[in-house]
Amino acid sequence: MEKESGYTWKLGMFVSIGLLLFITAVYFIGKQKNLFGSTFHISSKFKTVSGLEVGNNVRFSGINIGTVEEIQIINDSSVIVSMVIKDEVRKFIKTDARAGIGSDGLMGDKVLTISPGVKSTKIIEDNGTIASIDGIEMNDIMKSVKKSVDNVGVISEELAIFSHSMNNGNGALARLVRDDKMANSVSNTLSNLESGTKGFSENMEAAKSNFLFRGYFKKKEKEKAKKQEEKQEKQAEQEKAAKEEKEKQEKEKQEKAKEEKAKDEKEKQDKQKEQDAKKEPEKKQ
Amino acid sequence: MILSLKNTFAQIGNATLFASRFFKELIVPPYEAKEFLKQCYIIGYKSFPLVAITGFIMGLVLTIQSRPTLVTFGAESWLPGMVALSLIREIAPVITALICAGKISSGIGAELGSMKVTEQIDAMEVSAINPYNYLVVTRILACTLMVPILVIFADAIGLVGGYAGINIKGDVNFYRYLSQIIQSLEFSDLIPATIKTFFFGFFIGMIGCFKGFNAANGTESVGRAANSAVVTASLSIFIIDMIAVQLTDLIY
Repeated sequence: MEKESGYTWKLGMFVSIGLLLFITAVYFIGKQKNLFGSTFHISSKFKTVSGLEVGNNVRFSGINIGTVEEIQIINDSSVIVSMVIKDEVRKFIKTDARAGIGSDGLMGDKVLTISPGVKSTKIIEDNGTIASIDGIEMNDIMKSVKKSVDNVGVISEELAIFSHSMNNGNGALARLVRDDKMANSVSNTLSNLESGTKGFSENMEAAKSNFLFRGYFKKKEKEKAKKQEEKQEKQAEQEKAAKEEKEKQEKEKQEKAKEEKAKDEKEKQDKQKEQDAKKEPEKKQ
Repeated sequence: MILSLKNTFAQIGNATLFASRFFKELIVPPYEAKEFLKQCYIIGYKSFPLVAITGFIMGLVLTIQSRPTLVTFGAESWLPGMVALSLIREIAPVITALICAGKISSGIGAELGSMKVTEQIDAMEVSAINPYNYLVVTRILACTLMVPILVIFADAIGLVGGYAGINIKGDVNFYRYLSQIIQSLEFSDLIPATIKTFFFGFFIGMIGCFKGFNAANGTESVGRAANSAVVTASLSIFIIDMIAVQLTDLIY
């Protein structure tokens, strides 16, 4: 009798541990496949499912919440995908949630992703349907990638030509960048120009006081004064109507004026540079 | 040639009759519960250390062997899933069954063969004990039920071995390892493999009993019975495995 009980408990332990292992394996695999625990169904209509298969994961906010249960073609342009989803996430899925098909990595399985809606606060019902976002096909991605790669090719070619001419060419810009003499002469001409314009304004002042031109300048001043008076009258009326708006506009005008001035200055400088550049080789020669 | 062919067919016919007799006697009382439990203990519990060591080594070796291939593909992270799949689907059932064929089938063949030679079986019949019911039914049933459990142990221990193998060169958390395995498994992996093992167990027990029960008179026939039991059982395991794979492929 003792001998008998000696082996029966060992046998019992052996069998029960074995069965326990089997049951836990079944339970965990089943949990993975949503066979156990409460679930609910929703479905969505797609134009194409791009390789989605029954058993693929359903994701919501990146978390696996269920699996694709059935894929059914209803006519030539639409496919209904129904999925099983854990009941515990149901409260997060609203009626305006949308289903899309993505893929898990570059080579991975397809996954059905549910993205949350914005407005609705109504929780989705069992067997409800949600809208779908058409998936991005790999072909489309490849097409757009090809386009941008082609463009990059053109750009880099042109960039190469540009930099080559910058380094080796004899153009104005290239010389400006490379040549120290050039830079010096540019600054010299600029200072010359400054003094030149000063002289020019003095000449103008002198011309104003000259009797030949005096009458002409006086007429101009009178006209200006008249115009200003008219303007001031108008402005006074308008200001009464909308002071605030005017102020704004004036500010804007001022800013614009500044910008224009800046632009003009730049343009002037550029022109001068070009002229200088033209002059330079002549000097050298 | 024709005679040997005829003999082979006769053997197969006898084995079929022997197997069908098992199902008849299984249903009809008396039931030998005590002997059945004892056989379960001998076949199941006593084989466990052997199966455990083999399973652990298989898991370890399989992991180390398949790592280089997966590394060339940059798919090292699929190692747990791949090891688990191949262990559970194929390697653990077949290796365990082969070990059981070596240990159990030969044991049963030698035991029953020597009982036959020393006329203990005849003595049983004389003393109104059905030797088939007492010796054969209990052993075959014990085999059929214990081998699947041994295979499940081999699966589990093999996976632990695989974990050890992965941690030789990499570093994977045990929980992460388990979750990767479970992610890669499906019922279509576990269930057919488990059903298959019942057939393995049945044939291991049945062939051992058949060879022993039909041993010829004479001492050397005991050895021959044990030997041919191992060979035939191993061969039948591979044949069953082939059929099982084709059926599984058909269904899933």
